[in-house]
Amino acid sequence: MNRNYIFLTLLMVVLAAGTIFLKEEPEYQQINAEDLLYDVIQPTRYVTTDQIAKMIINKDPTLELIDVRDSKSFEKFSLNNAINVPLDSLILPDYQEYFGIPGTKVVFYSNDDILADQSWVIARRLGFKDMYVMKGGLNKWVETIIKPQEPPETAPETAFEQYQFRKGAQIFFTGSKIEAPGSSTKKEKVTVRRKKKTTAASGGC
Amino acid sequence: MHVHDLNPKKTLATLIIFVVVIIIGFVTLKRPRLTYKASLEKSIQILHDKDACFNPDQLADVLNKVNGNVVLFDIRNNFAFSQGHIPGAENISAYDLTNKENIKRLKDLNKNGITVVLYGNDQLEANGPWMVFRQLGFNNVKILLGGYDYYAKHKDNLSEASKDDSYILKRPRYEYSEVAKPSASVNTDQQKEKKKAPVIRRKKKTQAASGGC
Repeated sequence: MNRNYIFLTLLMVVLAAGTIFLKEEPEYQQINAEDLLYDVIQPTRYVTTDQIAKMIINKDPTLELIDVRDSKSFEKFSLNNAINVPLDSLILPDYQEYFGIPGTKVVFYSNDDILADQSWVIARRLGFKDMYVMKGGLNKWVETIIKPQEPPETAPETAFEQYQFRKGAQIFFTGSKIEAPGSSTKKEKVTVRRKKKTTAASGGC
Repeated sequence: MHVHDLNPKKTLATLIIFVVVIIIGFVTLKRPRLTYKASLEKSIQILHDKDACFNPDQLADVLNKVNGNVVLFDIRNNFAFSQGHIPGAENISAYDLTNKENIKRLKDLNKNGITVVLYGNDQLEANGPWMVFRQLGFNNVKILLGGYDYYAKHKDNLSEASKDDSYILKRPRYEYSEVAKPSASVNTDQQKEKKKAPVIRRKKKTQAASGGC
């Protein structure tokens, strides 16, 4: 046989064998570490208990609440329509069908926000997007929605609007009786008279 | 008479160039700068490891110079740092921590067995960076429980941190089922809609240490 052909064949076999030692496919598709770190330092993943309460009250279909605590805690109490995906099971393929559904916003929650945040990082490494963490968790949920605190007199009007919303949410979630209007007098709106300024530089941002 | 026999030198030359080009291609293949050293399973295990947390009373040892094997990295921005920080801490924002010099520094600190403690205003702020650095293989990186806020409140009696264990999170502060559950008459349809994850038959694992950070 021609020597060149033997040589060529051997070379091709060696190169083919070499490609076996190339990077192995990881078990799951993951985003690379630098991207994960960049995403992890963004605060945009945090949502408030007020926002979640609003979505539940409005029956927002895009909301998908994921309770990452163990099943015992979940059985004792969970938010409306929440799904239990304990952190330890997050990487099992059966549980992953809850993520990456187009159009849904996945919101992780736990007792505080640490466990939920940790779940978010793991899920993000797996490449899932459109995920959020409820800041403060169920502890904050109780402190804002279930037992809202009346803001002090000096607070801005937005604080009172928020308090009104929370009182309504409290009734929605716990069905508690509406309190007699003893203490909750509607605050006198303080109208501020302002001198009309000459419209010097109206415009800009 | 085969055509290749006519120019053996030419054939060899083209072959060598071909091989060289392929080798150059493999060598210059773009590899990501940072690669994971911990698998996903390991990453979750780390979260249960109590040794990966740094308690306030351990911090007291560092500040009292009892333990000199620790460096503190404040990952907040410079403004927050200048308003007040833990004495001896360096201000390195989480993203700067990944540049070449700092990665090399982390590697050296790891090699010399020096613990690196990350802290933010609270545990949540440092949680993400801490997890990622652990997954990159820096096993000497720990997270300060309670963050700067707890330290600032207990500056003077840090070693008695056990008296105020508010730095330990992940626990319920209320009996949710009593406080937050809707009264029986209202919202019964919500109970029905409560979805359950599919029941998976798994070999019962030994209870992973509930705890960790």
